Amino acid sequence: MATFVSYPLPSLPEGWSAEKDFKAVGKITADGATQRTIEPVGPHFLAHARRARHKRTFSEDDR
Amino acid sequence: MSETRTGPAPGDRTAIGITFGNSNSSIACTVDDKAEVIANEDGDRQIPTILSYVDGEEYYGQQAKAFLVRNPKNSVAYFRDFLGKEFKSIDPTYNHASVHPQDVDGSVAFTLKDKAGEDEAASTLSVSEISTRFLRRLVTSASEYLGQKVTSAVITIPTNFNDKQKAALVAAAKAADLEVLQLISEPVAVVLAYDARPEAEIVDKIVVVADLGGTRSDVAVVASRGGLYTILATAHDHEFVGAALDKVLINHFAKEFIKKHKIDPRENARSLAKLTAESEATKKALSLGTNASFSVESLAEGIDFQSTINRLRFETVARPVFEGFSRLVESVIKKAGLDVLDVDEVILSGGTAHTPRIASNLGNIFPASTAILSPSTSATAINPSELQARGAALQASLIQEYEAEDIAQSTHAAVTTVPHTTNAIGVISLTESGEEVFVPVVQPETAVPARRTVQVAAPKNGGDVLIKIVEGNTHIKVIKPEPKVQAANGTNSKAAKVEDDNSGEDSDDEFSDEEEEEEKREKAWKIGATLAEAAVRHVKKGAQVEVTINVNADLSVTVTAREVGAKGGVRGTLSA
Ligand SMILES: Nc1ncnc2c1ncn2[C@@H]1O[C@H](COP(=O)(O)OP(=O)(O)OP(=O)(O)O)[C@@H](O)[C@H]1O
Ligand SMILES: [Mg+2]
Repeated sequence: MATFVSYPLPSLPEGWSAEKDFKAVGKITADGATQRTIEPVGPHFLAHARRARHKRTFSEDDR
Repeated sequence: MSETRTGPAPGDRTAIGITFGNSNSSIACTVDDKAEVIANEDGDRQIPTILSYVDGEEYYGQQAKAFLVRNPKNSVAYFRDFLGKEFKSIDPTYNHASVHPQDVDGSVAFTLKDKAGEDEAASTLSVSEISTRFLRRLVTSASEYLGQKVTSAVITIPTNFNDKQKAALVAAAKAADLEVLQLISEPVAVVLAYDARPEAEIVDKIVVVADLGGTRSDVAVVASRGGLYTILATAHDHEFVGAALDKVLINHFAKEFIKKHKIDPRENARSLAKLTAESEATKKALSLGTNASFSVESLAEGIDFQSTINRLRFETVARPVFEGFSRLVESVIKKAGLDVLDVDEVILSGGTAHTPRIASNLGNIFPASTAILSPSTSATAINPSELQARGAALQASLIQEYEAEDIAQSTHAAVTTVPHTTNAIGVISLTESGEEVFVPVVQPETAVPARRTVQVAAPKNGGDVLIKIVEGNTHIKVIKPEPKVQAANGTNSKAAKVEDDNSGEDSDDEFSDEEEEEEKREKAWKIGATLAEAAVRHVKKGAQVEVTINVNADLSVTVTAREVGAKGGVRGTLSA
């Protein structure tokens, strides 16, 4: 279901390093989000409600 | 718990979808997961929301509508919007040609003769009772069609229905022995009807639903994200509506009649009723053909009237109404803080959406990349008159197996009200010239938790690859046309004109610069703050990298990236 992008990713800059190859730089703050209401309609909402009510993640849901 | 259950048990339900409009209603069911609008015993799929009583006999739908000419005093029409409302806050504009609403202890009622016999007194019936009687007729039709008693329904409502109106509708249905499984908003039912088609792909898109009915037009901007729908803005209008188009034709033909016969057919109630009915029929004919006839027997004082009108003439006289529809759509996009360039799809819904001119006018507002879904602009459009009922039927089939308590819990704010991303989140890629570009993965206004995956080409020669996760924003780039230069002496005629204009009162620009190019507007991504960097190592030549961004409920972000088809990869989390 993934979208394909043909513009290539950049090569890793010379000398780049990070623990476990992952470097956290920023974060999404509460200001970076708005509380809104999803319409409780459709099959994907049912899946959302099921995950929310059973406190399940996407990958747990996949299994 | 079964002891507390008031409605039927899930296994005993027969559920349908219902739209209950001021002008028309529809009933729909699903057959093998496909929605189907049911034709009632008269063969109608759009059933006029009208009840009419003749000698104690109750008529509804098209038959009741026909009685508006001969039996207006015992016919009730345009009442849906009065449900759950105080008398002082209703707009009775459309009730002049049928029973007038009256104030009974502050709420709305209608007085009419619903029993046979000369001496029988008239009854005063609340709008709730009228609604119950009408809904009962819809349920009876659906039950007859399905061959089993319909017990339950999902009913569509406008986005601005308040809690009182919702409660009144549920109560009116209950009194008709109908369990309301859920009330769902009209534009969302419409989007669902399209998304449920087998060929539909669930993609992130901004959809504008323009629901153009008979007495009200409702427009909504919906963020559709992974099949979850969030309404970003709505607008409601009572002026630019189907009835206004009827009015244009009523006046047009009335004037023609006056010219010929010196009689104004609008001054006599019965003549006006005939004029109204035929104007609506002519209007509908003009949605299909470029010419339509208009013909009424004994329009006024026994005089028959016949005429014709072509679509162009209609579009000319109705232009102010058509322009109103376009403005309404533009206003709600603005209200959502969006631009026409942000809109991926415009779905036209409601009976008035059949009108070709409305769709073509909207086509002129939006860029060519925006799909306008209406019968005249898209071969695969679903009948706009059926969208809501289909959506309601689909929702009914999705939830009919749930206990009422389960449905209530799932639709509770604790489940539905969640953070939505403000910015997009994506990765950085490079153009041919080596410029950084933003590749959106999670779109703005995505409800969380959300998970999105993209596959991006690796650098041509493979090797170690940088995954740079950033926020992104769109902005509108305006490309102004080059000023036209006069060939002979190189004088810039436009600059000279601007000087002129400063001294003059009115600009005559529009007339003199006929060939002036319009400015071009484009949507472009702007790269924002960096969220994370990661490395995927030893990627093969010509390979692709799969990047998954998971925004969790607490706004923490998990990123995973790996070469497609390879083991390992990288995974990291940004705390909230
Ligand atoms: N083919 C058509 N071409 C143009 N207009 C049409 C067509 N079919 C129906 N209409 C108009 O659509 C309007 C009814 O819309 P709809 O069936 O969506 O009703 P509704 O939602 O009950 O309306 P409301 O609640 O706004 O009164 C009427 O004005 C009718 O004349
Ligand atoms: Mg409607």
